[in-house]
Amino acid sequence: MAEPFDFSQAPEALVLTGVSRRFGALKAVSDVTLTIRQGERRAILGPNGAGKTTLFNTICGDYPPTAGQITFFGTDITRLRVHRRARLGIGRTYQSSLLFSGLSVLENLYLAVRAASAGRFSLRKAGPADPDVARARELAGRVRVSGFLDTRIDAISHGQRRQVEIGMALAGNPKLLMLDEPAAGLSAAERPELIALLAGLPRELTLVLIEHDMDVALSNADMVTVMKDGLVVVEAPPAQIADDPVVQSIYLGDPH
Amino acid sequence: MIMMSTRQWALTGLGVAILMVLPLLLHNFWLVNIMGRAMVYGVVALSLTFLAHYGGFISLAQTMVAGIAGYAVAMMAPTAIPLSTMAMPYALAIPLAVLAATLAGALVGLIAVNTREIYLLMITLALAVGFSLFAQSNITWFRGYEGIRNIVGPEVFGLPFRTPMVFYYSALIVAVLMYLLVLYVVRTPFGLVLQAIRDSNRRTAAIGFNVALHRIAAFALAGFIAGWGGVLITFYNIGITPSSIGLWATVAVLIMAVIGGLGHPLGAFIGALIYALMDTFASTIIGHDRFNTLIGLVFLSIVLLSPDGVWGIGERLKATLQGKGSKPAVEEAAGNETADRGS
Repeated sequence: MAEPFDFSQAPEALVLTGVSRRFGALKAVSDVTLTIRQGERRAILGPNGAGKTTLFNTICGDYPPTAGQITFFGTDITRLRVHRRARLGIGRTYQSSLLFSGLSVLENLYLAVRAASAGRFSLRKAGPADPDVARARELAGRVRVSGFLDTRIDAISHGQRRQVEIGMALAGNPKLLMLDEPAAGLSAAERPELIALLAGLPRELTLVLIEHDMDVALSNADMVTVMKDGLVVVEAPPAQIADDPVVQSIYLGDPH
Repeated sequence: MIMMSTRQWALTGLGVAILMVLPLLLHNFWLVNIMGRAMVYGVVALSLTFLAHYGGFISLAQTMVAGIAGYAVAMMAPTAIPLSTMAMPYALAIPLAVLAATLAGALVGLIAVNTREIYLLMITLALAVGFSLFAQSNITWFRGYEGIRNIVGPEVFGLPFRTPMVFYYSALIVAVLMYLLVLYVVRTPFGLVLQAIRDSNRRTAAIGFNVALHRIAAFALAGFIAGWGGVLITFYNIGITPSSIGLWATVAVLIMAVIGGLGHPLGAFIGALIYALMDTFASTIIGHDRFNTLIGLVFLSIVLLSPDGVWGIGERLKATLQGKGSKPAVEEAAGNETADRGS
């Protein structure tokens, strides 16, 4: 699905150098070094417990690395707080939908737009002419939830929530979009919607995707990183991944 | 974005209108010791409900913050016994006292900025108990166990503040303004961010909001609201003592907020009214030393039968009458944030 794109000359978007994350005695992510260039579509594969989501959490700052360094377009973000990283242009979705369930679809998207604007902290009520509201509506159209603007998040379907997730991650015009299993739990009818959405993303946007489904992952990626037990075990273009003996042993040895 | 509906505005207007003409119908005792008292304590409970319902922060420090405004106004009051060296007119003392409560609220928010749920409850309770013990033992400023007396409040249009009409209408104006302030703020971007933090603080940070800053601001606003309540409570009691901000006072405000219902700002006032009624009439029913038993039983039955309080009972009755079975707000709000650990 990914069109040929020469990103080898593109600037380095995200560089991880020896990144580790410990939880007590557990080393969830172990000495990961990788470079992702601007515009690259990178898929991260691996069995459950491989450390994929923890790797995301070290990058977005929910659980900063316990060792190593992360730079984002040349800026060291290793110790930066979560909201600071978001403002630099890192957008992400979560594996389990952590949306604002007591608020409406429009309010969720509006807040995501607002967070990226100058008027982040405001005691002025948004009027109908507020450009941020207009932008939130436009986002809703982009992620195909325009029909549910005033519906509370806990009243829409799982698939629609995943679309709102992506809309919120896109609201700040991120330079890097990290999607954590965007296809998980989607029905057969919802899957094409998601794939169309991903295909429609601007080419200069850097995309990192965690995906269990090898077909979805491989069709969307320029490059694939395979993790196991917190370590990067393979890094290769999609064409070489399916035949890689290590990948085969992981996926065949662990019938997951 | 979502405005109060026309119907809600009409109901609010009707309610305020009834409260405005109430002095024509009620005996002064009811006006001051039931309605007035319910409104001034209701304002403190409102600050707790605001934090709990919209931010998800259950703070037990709201009585303490109200007490800081109460002590501040007492220390600066021109009528205080004993009079302090910094006595000044009420017109100056009242805003300064509210400012002190706002700052105290922000400080509580700062101290508790990284704590949630039971830990937030514990840290705010510790602050509240610590402060009341400090006030009890400090003679120089807080006048120890005796407290500060004769805080009669300012004269309004030449009438003493203790005149039933003056006290009632002052309490009504403050209560309505604070109630409308909460309704307004929760629809602003700031208020929406608070609700976002309640639903998922991780996501709120991930889209770029400074969660800590918003939390501190929420506690400061709650301090501002509680401060107005604290000033009026001090005028109502004609003074302030450490026991009026101690553990029992703290628990009383929590009971008001829970009985009334944490699901809506109005619940705070409903709860404060029920508390005032029971506190006043318990003695005629079962004897005054049984008040704690009575209020405890009411509290227990509310928590067991209708966790979202009297307000929740009303909402469910409404839903039943309209033929829609809606679930109580508390159930919906519970357990939204699921763990999201390493894959």
